[in-house]
Amino acid sequence: MPPSDLPEAATERLGHGAWSSALSVPDFASTLALGLEPVGFVQGYCVMQWSWYQQGTTAPFLGGYGQPVANAGSYSEVYRCPHGMVSAEHRTFGYNWEQDWLETSWAQGWGLAYQRMMEEAEASGAHGVIGVLDAAAPLAGSSTIEYSIRGTAVVVPDSPRPSRIFSTFLSGARLAKLIEAGYTPVSVVAAMSSVQMIGYCITRYQMSGQANMGWLGSVAGVSSIAQVGKAQSAARHLARAKVRAQLGSDSLHGAHLDQSTREFGEGDMAIQCVIKGTRVRRFKDFNPLPHPTTVVPLR
Amino acid sequence: MADEEIGETEVATDEEAAHPFFEGAQLPPDAARRLAELEDRPGHKGMFTSDLSVNEFLLIKEVGFHPVGFVMGSSIYHLGIQTRRWSQSQELAKLTEAMYNARELAMNRMDAEALELGADGVVGVRLDVNYYEWGSDTAEFIAVGTAVKAEDGKSYRNNQGKPFTSDLSGQDFWTLLQTGHVPLGLVMGTCVYHIAHRSLGQTVRSAGQNIELPNFTQALYEARELAMTRMQDEANELGATGIVGVRLEEKTHMWGDHTIEFLSLGTAVVKTEGEHQIPVPQTIISLDG
Repeated sequence: MPPSDLPEAATERLGHGAWSSALSVPDFASTLALGLEPVGFVQGYCVMQWSWYQQGTTAPFLGGYGQPVANAGSYSEVYRCPHGMVSAEHRTFGYNWEQDWLETSWAQGWGLAYQRMMEEAEASGAHGVIGVLDAAAPLAGSSTIEYSIRGTAVVVPDSPRPSRIFSTFLSGARLAKLIEAGYTPVSVVAAMSSVQMIGYCITRYQMSGQANMGWLGSVAGVSSIAQVGKAQSAARHLARAKVRAQLGSDSLHGAHLDQSTREFGEGDMAIQCVIKGTRVRRFKDFNPLPHPTTVVPLR
Repeated sequence: MADEEIGETEVATDEEAAHPFFEGAQLPPDAARRLAELEDRPGHKGMFTSDLSVNEFLLIKEVGFHPVGFVMGSSIYHLGIQTRRWSQSQELAKLTEAMYNARELAMNRMDAEALELGADGVVGVRLDVNYYEWGSDTAEFIAVGTAVKAEDGKSYRNNQGKPFTSDLSGQDFWTLLQTGHVPLGLVMGTCVYHIAHRSLGQTVRSAGQNIELPNFTQALYEARELAMTRMQDEANELGATGIVGVRLEEKTHMWGDHTIEFLSLGTAVVKTEGEHQIPVPQTIISLDG
C-alpha cells in the first residue's frame, strides 16, 4: 500500500455528513471551550511482518568466540569470563548490543501508521489532531504486528489552512492547561530502542540465584547484575537520544516511558524501550493560573 | 486453496423476530406488566427504577429530566456459517448483517419499552453480547439503559419519533447539554472481516525480514473504515451534526483468530438552535486524598 493512498472508504467517510470524534464528552466540552471544533475521527494502520532475528546476529548464541555483533547499532559490549574455564555449560562470552534493524522496523511501522492518520486529517481539512492513541499488537499469529494510531481531527473555525497540521496525545482540559501555560503542541513523537543481551557465566549465575556459591569466588551473594543493568540503561539512553533528535529546539511534554523485557533463554533477554510524548513549543509567557477553588467531592 | 468452512452461505434468521410477542414491537406480557406498574395513573401511584448512581440521578434532574424506568431489550440470535476463502481477505457480509440485525433488534425492543413509558430518551445504554454453553453459534444481544423524560413537557424524541438513546453516563449527559448539543441516538456500524492466511510461498519469501504486509494493512484499514462509515450513515439519517465518544471495538467472538468483528459505536448529537455560551471551566483542587 503506497503511503499516500487512503482507502476508498476513508475518503468517502471523511468527505461528507456528520463528524465523528473519539473524544469523551468532558473532553469534547473542553475542546469547544478552547475554540476548537472536531471534524472527524482519523486513523492510520500498518501491518508489519516481525522477526526478532536477522542473519548475521545469531553468532553469540552458545557463547561463541570471535566478533559476533556484525549488525549492532551504536551500542555493543563484550563480557569475558574471568574463570578461565571452557565447557558447553559455561558461557565464556557475554554480549549486549543494539538491534538497530528492529528499531528501524518499528520506526517504519509506527511512522507509516502515523503518516496515514495525518493524511486523513489533511483530507478532512483539519488544523490538528488531538487525543492521539497508539498501539502495537500481534495480528492473527505471532509473526505480524499491527501498528494503529487514532485521534480526533479538529479545526480552528474561520482560520486559514495551516502549513503543517499539529498533533498531540493531549485532549480536553489537559490540552487547555498546556496552552494556558504558554505552550502549543507541534506533533507527537515516539521512538523505540532494542537491546539484546546474551548473558556470560557471571550474569547467568547471578540471574539463577547461584552467585553465592563459594566456588565462584568472584561475585558477592547480593550484588547488582552489571550486564543487565548496562543493557537496560543503554536501551533507555538510546530511546531518549532518538526522541531528542526529533525535538529540535522544542520540548517534550508528558513523556511516557514503557520498558519491556522478553527472556528467551537462561540469562538471555531482549529489552525494548518506547518513549513517547508531545513536542511542544512556547508561544507566550506563562500567566499564573487563577487561584484554584478547593472542593470536597461527596462520593 | 481449501475453503475454511464449506456450506450454504446463509445466516439463520432470528426466529423470535417473527414470534407474536415481538410483532410490531409488541412487548412480552411480563415486560408490559412490569412497565405498567411504573406508570402514574388514576388510582395508582407509579415509581421509577433506574441503574443511575445517586450523582447521575442528581445531574439528570439538574438539567430538567426525570428517570421513568429501567428499560431493556434482548435478542437471542443464531449466527450461521459463511464460506471464507483461506487465502483471501474479505468482508463476510452475511455475518456483518447478522451482528448488526441482532443488536438492532435488541435496541428496538429497548426503545419499545421506553416508548411504553412515554420517555423522551434512554441514557447510560449498555450493549452487550453474551454466549451460553447451551447454544453453539448462538449469542444473546442485550441493550439496557434508563429511560428519562423531560420535565418541561418538550419532546426530545429524534426525527424518527423514537426516544433518543445514548451510552452517556449521567455526568456526560449533563456536560453535553452544557455545550449546546442534545443526543439523537446511539449509532453503530459493524463489519465482520476475514483476514487471509499467508501461503507457504509468501512466508518463505519474506522469512527473516521485517517488512510491511500491504495487503493486510489495506484489508484491515478498509474493514474499520467500513464500520465507521456505516455508523456515520446512521448518524446522517438522524440528522446529526456529529458523533461523540466514538469507540472502535474489535472482537473475534467464536470465529478464531482470522475473523474479526469491527464495531464502531458512538452517540449522535445535534447542536441546539441559537447561540450557546459554554461555561468557562473553573480550576479546582480536590481535597479527596
